[in-house]
Amino acid sequence: MKSQTEYKLTSPPEGAISAVKFGPNTSQFLLVSSWDNSVRLYDVTANILRHKYVHDSPVLDCCFTDAVHSYSGGLDNTLKSFDFNTTTESTIGTHNNAIKCVEYCSDVNVVLSGSWDHHVKLWDPRTPMCSGSYNQGEKVFTMSVCGEKLVVGTAGRKILVWDIRNMSYTLQKRESNLKYQTRSIRCFPNKQGFVLSSIEGRVAVEYLDTNPEIQKKKYAFKCHRIKEDGTEKIYPVNAISFHPTYNTFATGGSDGYVNIWDGFNKKRLCQFHQYHTSVTSLSFSHNGEVLAIACSYFLEEDNPPKPYPEDIIHIRSVSDQETRPKYSTTNT
Amino acid sequence: MGRKKKKLSKPWCWYCNREFEDEKILIQHQKAKHFKCHICHKKLYTGPGLSIHCMQVHKETIDKVPNSLPHRSNIEIEIYGMEGIPSTDLKEHEKQRQGGNDSGSDDEPTPKKPKPEGLLGNAPGGAQHPGMMPPGMLPPPGMPPGMPMGHMMHMGPPFMHPGMPMMPPHMMMQGQPGPAKPLFPSAVPTSSPGGAVVGADFKPISQGSSFTGATISAPPTTNQPAGSSTPGSDKVPLIANTGASSKIIHPAEDISLEEIRARRLKYTKVTFQKQDEQIPTSSAAATNLAIAVSAAQQAAAHQAKQIDAMNHHAAMMQRFGQPVRVSAPPIGMIHGGPIMSPMRPHMIPGPPTLIGGHLVRPPPLTMPPGMIGMPPGMMYGAPMFPTGPVLMQPRFR
Repeated sequence: MKSQTEYKLTSPPEGAISAVKFGPNTSQFLLVSSWDNSVRLYDVTANILRHKYVHDSPVLDCCFTDAVHSYSGGLDNTLKSFDFNTTTESTIGTHNNAIKCVEYCSDVNVVLSGSWDHHVKLWDPRTPMCSGSYNQGEKVFTMSVCGEKLVVGTAGRKILVWDIRNMSYTLQKRESNLKYQTRSIRCFPNKQGFVLSSIEGRVAVEYLDTNPEIQKKKYAFKCHRIKEDGTEKIYPVNAISFHPTYNTFATGGSDGYVNIWDGFNKKRLCQFHQYHTSVTSLSFSHNGEVLAIACSYFLEEDNPPKPYPEDIIHIRSVSDQETRPKYSTTNT
Repeated sequence: MGRKKKKLSKPWCWYCNREFEDEKILIQHQKAKHFKCHICHKKLYTGPGLSIHCMQVHKETIDKVPNSLPHRSNIEIEIYGMEGIPSTDLKEHEKQRQGGNDSGSDDEPTPKKPKPEGLLGNAPGGAQHPGMMPPGMLPPPGMPPGMPMGHMMHMGPPFMHPGMPMMPPHMMMQGQPGPAKPLFPSAVPTSSPGGAVVGADFKPISQGSSFTGATISAPPTTNQPAGSSTPGSDKVPLIANTGASSKIIHPAEDISLEEIRARRLKYTKVTFQKQDEQIPTSSAAATNLAIAVSAAQQAAAHQAKQIDAMNHHAAMMQRFGQPVRVSAPPIGMIHGGPIMSPMRPHMIPGPPTLIGGHLVRPPPLTMPPGMIGMPPGMMYGAPMFPTGPVLMQPRFR
């Protein structure tokens, strides 16, 4: 089973998969949060479910802080942490509305939760308490950590950039360059910028440096669209994950496709086969050799397909050819 | 300039202060010298025209008029021949000619307007309104039709960021989609039928305007006024349509898929409450997202914490003390790998290294130091509180 380039995880969640995240220093463990209220830890190499803990409501995001600790939050407004060694669960704190995203900033050693209550809260993993709550003006839809910076994407196509070390003011406030609702934001591992996707099959590459020379380099492109009988179906781009070293990234859309892009050279490196339903989350492992692909139907269409698509996590080994830039980048 | 005539003022080029015999030649000069695209050599008609061309066709931002004097490089000013020259500059030019001083360089000390490059030659010389556009600036009548003049005329905003394209600010405010469209046809939302070899080529999206940043904001698709969406608001804006030949596969409302899903969940609450059956209240509360309920839960949890462990309700213990476990043993028991190291995040400044620094950390509070090396399985039920004030586990009551 493992010899193949791709296999499915056994005992997948029983509800739609909201997030998959590989551990910080191994491609063996995968954290998965789901609408079945659970957070699960899979041993990907052995293909078994190792741990599971539950929230009171669907879980919208999760993250590792180190190999044995996870944080998660969801519709129960509660941020929980779990210690996989001792299997101890603790409630860290709450928001006033659902927690949509949870991130960990290793540079500052802080856990960040973004919520539909318009706030991002910072949590110190040493003393599980809130060390600050910051208004984002709109519902937080997505966020990504970039070194010491935090990029937050909210409803109303707003983008806010913060310095996690000094959250007293917003570094930058931008409007999304894409004309439709922001779906996902992920930062380049080289910290130069971020990639932003929208529900309208489009992805933008943006730079944090506000220097006009640098800003010139930003661009956007269309993707995740399928032409059928003269009509173009445009799908939301739900997931972005960066290759940790090559600065290339994978995008997953509700069209069921996963593409890998070289953002600096504006090239598509490859496209995988079409998955049976929407790709909702993607995660490269720490060394970029494995890609976890979560597929769940996400109610994009008014009439769900029949039979109702299963929730499946695919684990795919990716080769250098699929992920490395074709020619050397000029600006890394 | 010895060649200039006594009285009759000749047409001159604002960008380089050169004089010409004839306005026609001046216009030719400007087209060839100042309004030519350096990429495709197309000759445009005005500075803003060139800028728009470069933005839309080549996705390049031009912030200076080519071959212009440093203080005359403002690309946002609409000048065509002699039309559109700021009146201060006209007067200044006139003055210098009258004064008979050599205008070879003709660098009037008067600051015309803040230069984008920041060359604020703020010299003395009785300048009228430093940095201000003369109010009476006239629209250039001689513009060829078809040029995006109509709106440029109101323009003359001298204070524009260098990186900012040439849309007058008040236009951006109004965000009038109506007139903007005919002017910048390619700025119209481009999910056009014929468009897109899907994803394969990274053609810069031709709507130069909308994606060149916060400059010209294309008509927002979400007619949601900023900051108006309170968590409980019922009115949900709809997603703008892309056109007849394409369809966004997304529910009509412009809220996230997760919100839509969460909302459906509220009404069909049976599906997601397999767990927590022991606690009578939580089954009702499980799917209820109302703040009040969650607050109540919090209060309950808080209260539960405060009660002495002895008095704990069995059900409470079940809920808070014992996470649901899957049959697999704790990771550490099987795998000697990195995950075994019982590190805690706060001890490590950077990303957790593997086992390297395992003993650096002080032991957890209630744990004797000697226990560190023990297999995690041992610690499993041991009396320790790995993450601070955790709820007690039933066993060591």
